[in-house]
Amino acid sequence: MYLVRYVLILVPFLISQKVNAQMDPSAPSLLNQKSILLNVGTQGVGAEFAYGVLPELALRGGFNFIPFKANDVFKISGFNSTSNLSADFYNAHILADYVPLKKTTWFRLVGGFAYFFKAKGDIRIIPSDDYKYGDLVLTDDQIGYVDLTVNWKGLAPYLGVAFAHTFPQHKFNINFDLGTYYLNKPKADITGTGLLEGNSSQTPQFQSNIKDYRWLPIVQINFSYKL
Amino acid sequence: MSTIKTMQLALIILTVTACTKPTENIKIVVDTDVIKYTALINVTDGQNGSPAPANTSIVISGAAAQNIYELSGKKEIKLSSGIVTIGLHPTIAPTADQPIGVAVEINAPGYNKETRQVVFKAESKQQVVNIQLTKIGSTTPPVVTPPPPVFNNVALTFTGRCPNRADLEIRPSVYVYFKKSDSNAAFQYLGYMDRGNISTNLLEQNATYDFQIVYGGDTYKVTQKIDQTNYNLTIDMPAACNF
Repeated sequence: MYLVRYVLILVPFLISQKVNAQMDPSAPSLLNQKSILLNVGTQGVGAEFAYGVLPELALRGGFNFIPFKANDVFKISGFNSTSNLSADFYNAHILADYVPLKKTTWFRLVGGFAYFFKAKGDIRIIPSDDYKYGDLVLTDDQIGYVDLTVNWKGLAPYLGVAFAHTFPQHKFNINFDLGTYYLNKPKADITGTGLLEGNSSQTPQFQSNIKDYRWLPIVQINFSYKL
Repeated sequence: MSTIKTMQLALIILTVTACTKPTENIKIVVDTDVIKYTALINVTDGQNGSPAPANTSIVISGAAAQNIYELSGKKEIKLSSGIVTIGLHPTIAPTADQPIGVAVEINAPGYNKETRQVVFKAESKQQVVNIQLTKIGSTTPPVVTPPPPVFNNVALTFTGRCPNRADLEIRPSVYVYFKKSDSNAAFQYLGYMDRGNISTNLLEQNATYDFQIVYGGDTYKVTQKIDQTNYNLTIDMPAACNF
């Protein structure tokens, strides 16, 4: 439903702006221009191919991936533990760059979709104290660990803005994207081992807590080479 | 962690408008089945079936005695309501060829000393040892408690509550006793609760029962009327909350 709303808002706006843009003969046309872009940002690193399909509209297709790992970023109050976090996001996307105002061609509206082949976050929580059970000192294996997993795999719409020209005036330029993906409804899961095996019972609560975590903000620098 | 990584994480992990903390209302669930081979020792007054007197003592002896712990992992072994669960150190297990035995000696003032051999076998991780005390000089034979009547199956799920740790929840593995709340009879053995779950056919519909467990030298009880086939019961277990 949100996709329909998104398209209904974006398309009339693009059409109305197209008319104005075409009336300005001094504006540089995007038509038939081509470039390749390498990018780095919050969705990791990636590459794109951009092509101007209309004087004020270009399409970008590409992929991004981000393998991310960090330790001790996650704490549970009252429970001394270490945590290992990993996040893997791999997507292929297609975006439309539209220049709404010919006087400010450095500003673009961007919309599109990505398919996230992988969009998964894992956190492993491992008790860090030497835990005693009565007079028994427990081994790491006996205590076990807890894994929290969230998966957003699937299709996600994108909406944002971009700054600086898609196609370099000469050979190179740097431009920026600022926007957000609206990810699939996440599937959350908790599993445990050892004495923590029973934590799978907390999955419904975790699913409920995480259900609104669907916005993946994008802040990205693109290095563009004109073909 | 570097600032860049922190920022990257904050952005990746999604973020923006979600207000609920991912760990909100999530509890750490801890099992108590550390000791795998256990034996419930149930000491009663043979004359009336009531629990052994409060000053009854228990001594474990034999070559394996050093490897015997109370169910909560404590080395100190004492009776509570005439009941204690003992077990083998978690790294020690009997084999088919080599069961592990200990002697259990019960002493109570005014009663004859009782000794039983408790043998831990590879094929049975739980066992119940009933010991009836007889008064010194008494010739009255011990009472024989008839087996409880059988009804339809009822599933009980117990959750151990930690009074001082709202973030912790216990999944107890422990022997359960029961009796009708309005009865003066002694508690009877219901069964072994495995990681919080027990299924039994000893509970009558529309009757109210007291359930009792003994853990860490303390007795805990909870009451529930039975008029369904599934129940979730919460029972205080502070002795299990030192995790």
